[in-house]
Amino acid sequence: MSRRKLRSKILAHAALVPFLVFALFPFYHMTLTSLKTDRELYDRAAAPLLIRQGVTFEHYTKLLWDTSFLTWTKNSLLVTVLSTAISLVIGTIAAYALARLKFFAVGSFGTGIFVTYLVPTSLLFLPLAQIVNWLGLGDSKWALVVTYPTFLVPFCTWLLMGYFRTVPKEVEECAMVDGATRVQALLRIVLPIAVPGLVCAALFAFTLSWNEFIYALTFTSSSEEITASVGVTTELIRGDSYFWGSLMGGAVLGSVPIVVLYVFFLDYYVSGLTAGALK
Amino acid sequence: MAVGNVGVVAAARPPLRVRIRELLDRERVLGPLFITPALILIVLLVAYPFCVALYFSVSNAFIGRPSHFVGLKNFINLWESDAFRQTFQNAFVFTGTAVACKLVLGISLALLLNQQLWFKRLIRGAVLLPWVIPTALSTLGWWWMFNSLYSVVNWTGIALGLMEPPGPNWLGQKYYAMTAVVVVNVWRGLPFFAITILAGLVSIPRELYEAAEADGAGPVTRFWYITLPLLKPVLAVVVLFSTIFTFSDFNIVYVLTHGGPINSTHLFATLSRQVGLESGRIGEGAAISLYLFPVLVLVVYAQLKFVRKQTY
Amino acid sequence: MALSRRAFLTTSGGGVAAILASRIPPARGQQWEISYLCWNNFAPASDKKLSEIGQRFTKDTGIRIRIDHIAHPQQPSKYASEVQTQAGHDLVEMRMHFPWLYEPQLVDVSDLVVELERKHGKVLSSGYEGAHVNGIWRAVPQYHGMFLAAYREDLFKKAGLKVPETWEDLYKVGRELKKMGHPIGIPISQNYDSISTASAVRWCYGSTEVDRDGKTVAINSPQTVEVVEWYKKVYRDCMEPEVLSWSDASNNESLQQGKAGWIHNPVSAYIVARDKKLVTADGLNHHRSLAGPAGRHETDVPRSIGIWKFSKRIEPAKEWIRYLLGKREVYDEYIMSGSAFNLPIYTNLQDHPVLKTDPKYAALRNEGAQYHTYGWPAPPSDKVQLITNSFILPNMLAKAVTGTPTREAIAWAENEMQKIIAGS
Repeated sequence: MSRRKLRSKILAHAALVPFLVFALFPFYHMTLTSLKTDRELYDRAAAPLLIRQGVTFEHYTKLLWDTSFLTWTKNSLLVTVLSTAISLVIGTIAAYALARLKFFAVGSFGTGIFVTYLVPTSLLFLPLAQIVNWLGLGDSKWALVVTYPTFLVPFCTWLLMGYFRTVPKEVEECAMVDGATRVQALLRIVLPIAVPGLVCAALFAFTLSWNEFIYALTFTSSSEEITASVGVTTELIRGDSYFWGSLMGGAVLGSVPIVVLYVFFLDYYVSGLTAGALK
Repeated sequence: MAVGNVGVVAAARPPLRVRIRELLDRERVLGPLFITPALILIVLLVAYPFCVALYFSVSNAFIGRPSHFVGLKNFINLWESDAFRQTFQNAFVFTGTAVACKLVLGISLALLLNQQLWFKRLIRGAVLLPWVIPTALSTLGWWWMFNSLYSVVNWTGIALGLMEPPGPNWLGQKYYAMTAVVVVNVWRGLPFFAITILAGLVSIPRELYEAAEADGAGPVTRFWYITLPLLKPVLAVVVLFSTIFTFSDFNIVYVLTHGGPINSTHLFATLSRQVGLESGRIGEGAAISLYLFPVLVLVVYAQLKFVRKQTY
Repeated sequence: MALSRRAFLTTSGGGVAAILASRIPPARGQQWEISYLCWNNFAPASDKKLSEIGQRFTKDTGIRIRIDHIAHPQQPSKYASEVQTQAGHDLVEMRMHFPWLYEPQLVDVSDLVVELERKHGKVLSSGYEGAHVNGIWRAVPQYHGMFLAAYREDLFKKAGLKVPETWEDLYKVGRELKKMGHPIGIPISQNYDSISTASAVRWCYGSTEVDRDGKTVAINSPQTVEVVEWYKKVYRDCMEPEVLSWSDASNNESLQQGKAGWIHNPVSAYIVARDKKLVTADGLNHHRSLAGPAGRHETDVPRSIGIWKFSKRIEPAKEWIRYLLGKREVYDEYIMSGSAFNLPIYTNLQDHPVLKTDPKYAALRNEGAQYHTYGWPAPPSDKVQLITNSFILPNMLAKAVTGTPTREAIAWAENEMQKIIAGS
């Protein structure tokens, strides 16, 4: 590698450092807080950036054994995976229709999907509660599985629409000339090519759904049904006392699964956005 | 005669399966069929509740009491309230500043991530972390960091010699509080910008850069005349989404400042909750939330027009 | 027949079961199930005790009960959606004056309260204010927690400071404390603790937000000027600017980690310090909330249990309330598990054994206390609650201490309150 190239590479890394510090610092602080003893946490004189009085796992054990954290995480996972899957399916076929097929009012429907994004969940949740109840899903995580797609489907559709448009029409037409139906062409030809787009949509849907709070709070009550973020904030904030150690532990444990997912699928995510974002 | 009859009989009754297959091959059938699930979802779970919320906003709806139509009274009366006028201003300041920061920083970060890096995956993963942590909990983490008693931010600033002890009262002073919530919003939203813009960068053909370099163009010129124009569609989309998310943000302000100090960080969503949910006046609360709508529609319209112009 | 009935009564172990036995036909095979939504109690032991009591209730009466918990900031969302959908829990725990907000949706429980008052004495004034709505009891008061002063006794002793009796005393003491590096901690921000303290101060000085009639805004008065001036001098000489950014937990934390020398709070700050064995725990103690020219008025947080009208199991729900609060032993057990954070709200029970579990609880015991909830003396109607929830009082004080002239700040508050009262 030439000297100039090496130098610019090092410069690039150096320039990245402030960004990395900015992104990771709070996470570092949260992890540290979750490992500090209560005594040190409340000690005004202690240095906040180091652990001097010994590492403790008591906040994690309290979180995992004294609360129903594992149940909540299970609920979160179930709701997230299911609503992601549902949104992907609905979004894929809608996107295909809007990108490829010509039929009545296709253009306005595309815009319509987009407009639903403008309606904030904080406005909708009260009337939505009535509908959820009417569907008989009162206090249950299935209510979330049904309502989460409302904000997941628009984005998935939009992204996949863009992605499908990049798949050359000829590929499908070839297949159809060979005797395949449209549906078969979609399943066997287009979708495999669109895998990066699908992965990207799936990751995005997974994140949004995992982090969602308002609907989760409204549509679930009992300890067996609530999701992780609702559970942690409910259980560990009592009156005017915050259990910071365990709260931060909950934040750390609550982000680990997604980080793992992202690290593995990041390349797909990027290439999926490439096509989708440009159209 | 017999042959003709047989032919007619054979053609008149193809099996059901074949008929369905043929039907599904027709665009005019498949299209609507494919969008029906999405349509049902949106009509039932978005459009209908939205209409109900719309009704709330033009009525004197109160939790648990019968409501009556009052026309635009809620919307007009809101202007009398100092808190609302302040909120209106805050929303634009907050969104404008946050999105601008995210845009500039996002482009910079994306350019850096586009280089050949060591530990590429790890770095990209690290950068994505703020986007991925559950918002309810990461905001609490920031509250802990800005906490007046243990403020890590001030401690670090003082240790690095950037601040005089005891350091600014981040969440208790008017402009500092707005800065703090903007910082947290930028922290959370930057990964989305960076990764999406990165995707856009990746698709710019290298040949363009090589040609420009051969012509003697420096890095700044290349950025200005090649990168930026080709990124415009991506930027438009990202700014659009981000504006929507940022404008309707709730959690950051709710956890860090509750709208204070003296309503200087209240946003539409937080004020709506204070008036609507906590005090029972869901009619007024809905009206506050709906003030978001025209602005968003305008933004969407502008963006879509802009994007359409670019691609065609 | 009478004999066997009596025998049944003695063997069933509870008059409650007998009452039910006479109401529910024995042939009915189905089991009632009720649900109760309450807040996540400050003392986790109290929640555990509650679920224990719930199980015993099921054994004794055959009614199954499911108890769900929710954090208190999330209660409004939850109640709103239950009311909107006319479905959800049967019983709900209501804080302070929530019963006023949900009046049309709550069952009239006057019969229950009358029963309880006969057993335990009259309900304290704050409980009455919160749950007695327009002549009808809409919720049954269960317990309360008052705001009092938590202070560093060790620092006071070291500096030879006297425990303050009035808010004016506090100013003098506070000045010394700040010089020692342990300022007072009274929040002046958009949170409920700010309203709690500011309300106590204004009541003691005779200042009113909205008058008794619930319609006249009376904040612009010489008494309010006194209150604002008091806050200004306390902010300047006894506190640090950080109080402008505090949340409900901040004053606790400031006291617990040794910075604040005096705060106004329920006993939660001390209890956490003691339980976590923090350095400051031993030096803490409490004294009664302070008095002023208009007497001693204290902020109280009463909690009561309401039954939604849409519930299909109102009678069994009432049984639960009778069981939890009506039976002296059960009520006592429940209170004991609350570490003195939850105190009985009926007059005859004020001298409760829970207060003896820790010498530092001595100040919680009180004769003739005047407890009020937010908005007093105005009845906590929707508009008064909106005034409270808009943080107009703390914002007025925040403006004043950060430089706005007193008259201007008060005029601003008056304006905002008038607009709210005038609105629909």
